[in-house]
Amino acid sequence: MSSNTILVFSEKPVIMNELLGAARRQSDDLGWSVSAIDLTGGSEDLGESGADVVYKADTDASNPDEILSLLAAAIQQSQPNAFLIGATKMGLEVAPRLAERFDSGYAAWVVGFKIDSNERFTTAQAMLYTGTGVATYKIKPGFVILAIPPGIFDPVHVSGENVKSVDLEIPQSVSKIKILENKPKQAGESSLEAAKFVVDIGQGVQQRDDLEMMHTVAELLEGQLACSRPIASDRDWFPDWLGLSGAKVKPELCLTIGVSGAIQHIIGIRDSRLIAAINNDENAPIFSQADYGIVADLYEFLPAFIERLKSREIKAV
Amino acid sequence: MNVLVLIKYSLDVSEIKVDPDSADLLLEGVPRKIGDIDKNVVEAAVKLTADSNSKIQALTLGPLKARDGFRDVLAMGLDEVILIEDPFDGQAESVVAITILEAAIKKITDFDLIICGFASDDGYTFQVAPRLAERLNLPLVSYVSQLSVEDDSLIATRELDDSLQVISVPLPAVVSIAEEAFPPRRTTLMDALKAKDKPVNVWHVGDELDLDLENMTEIGKIETAYQKGVIISRKRNLLKGKTPVELADQLIDALLKENVIKGNE
Repeated sequence: MSSNTILVFSEKPVIMNELLGAARRQSDDLGWSVSAIDLTGGSEDLGESGADVVYKADTDASNPDEILSLLAAAIQQSQPNAFLIGATKMGLEVAPRLAERFDSGYAAWVVGFKIDSNERFTTAQAMLYTGTGVATYKIKPGFVILAIPPGIFDPVHVSGENVKSVDLEIPQSVSKIKILENKPKQAGESSLEAAKFVVDIGQGVQQRDDLEMMHTVAELLEGQLACSRPIASDRDWFPDWLGLSGAKVKPELCLTIGVSGAIQHIIGIRDSRLIAAINNDENAPIFSQADYGIVADLYEFLPAFIERLKSREIKAV
Repeated sequence: MNVLVLIKYSLDVSEIKVDPDSADLLLEGVPRKIGDIDKNVVEAAVKLTADSNSKIQALTLGPLKARDGFRDVLAMGLDEVILIEDPFDGQAESVVAITILEAAIKKITDFDLIICGFASDDGYTFQVAPRLAERLNLPLVSYVSQLSVEDDSLIATRELDDSLQVISVPLPAVVSIAEEAFPPRRTTLMDALKAKDKPVNVWHVGDELDLDLENMTEIGKIETAYQKGVIISRKRNLLKGKTPVELADQLIDALLKENVIKGNE
């Protein structure tokens, strides 16, 4: 494949823009072009985010086999050197299948990459052992697929006036999967990435009603609530979860409440300037990742903390 | 029904430390075990086949010393483990490991369903199930939190980022299990005793699988790789107050000093 193109896709608009930013910068260095695959009909916006060509298609986005066919068709048509895909559950499911189909190099959890303009090999940095380390790979020349988590690259903004729109031909469906029911979860809306103060809630919090206490702390210090993945996925309390494939925050202060400190979650908060942690288990790994640790029952500590914040008239900076 | 589960004798990632000076990953002496994700896989298979006359085989690529690590999962209800001795000691890239697993699965043949974890506990790159589905030309059902079999179809609930999805698919199929979806059962002494008689059969890549090791390294896509740990330096200051009010004041004092809040000293 050698059309000097980087192809980009994520079903999440925020990640799409981040990946387009990475592709645009790299393509400008190489004198290449950027193509994107659009499921939502917002191709002008994708032009402003850095795409030169937008492939448009109409498909059943709830069926991973249909997404796979669409992406395979887009790769066939655009013949890219590299394909960047958002490391969401869906992205991580289809990317290895595409790597098999196109016999390409593949790396997951990529946090940096560079394509060599002469030799055409790709150097990629990828998170290793769920984020404990970073591996640097030199991938053989040829087509490469990179799955990139959210919050890694900055988007760009360009005029986008010359963006070209192309209708994509997708082959007839061969999916054996029949979707009987598709029940949406609640959608996230907060702008966590910009928050100066984040209250990060883990499985130590027992009931949904207890969130009121955490809301109070967040309000007193003008912060935002976030959580670990099980709170969002298993308990479905609210969707703003932090971690390897979730949001990554960099506030001045992150206060974790009932968070145990698994590395997959820590990745979402480790860029905070300061981390304070409350957990009743003094051996919880979170304490080795925190600046200030409080070994206490959160149900005893938080009411006292709220009372002292109020009576000492503590405010956000 | 015959179920084939894929499990891994994984590094305990929470025990991997980083050298604070060189940023090297300190992998020596890190314990290995059947991953938590894989125990969920075994539980899913045991639960699915509870009421039927079924066989559950486990396939794994790992070191010979893993042999003693299967007692728990055999006690949970596996009938047999096939251990392929890993000639690359866990360092092979995904596409190579898949080629070995594919060869073994094509030798096993008599299964109705393959169940994997959504990822391995250590590698965590989410590749085995999707790649196998392609190699075997079978439907892929990812991130499953509930499953049942009706006639020759699998009914599964998929735990996705934005939705819960119920699907049906004809068997055979490749399924990956969602995170923490099937908490493993506790086993009894009786289970453990029964497990002692269950076989762990060792296969070799060059022997039983008839694969050429030299060709295996050729199919890899990665030329060189080196690894560094991520260094996290935090103050790790445990506050020592006796009462909740004392602790609250200490935390407020510390945060004031750090200038992340403002108010009365």
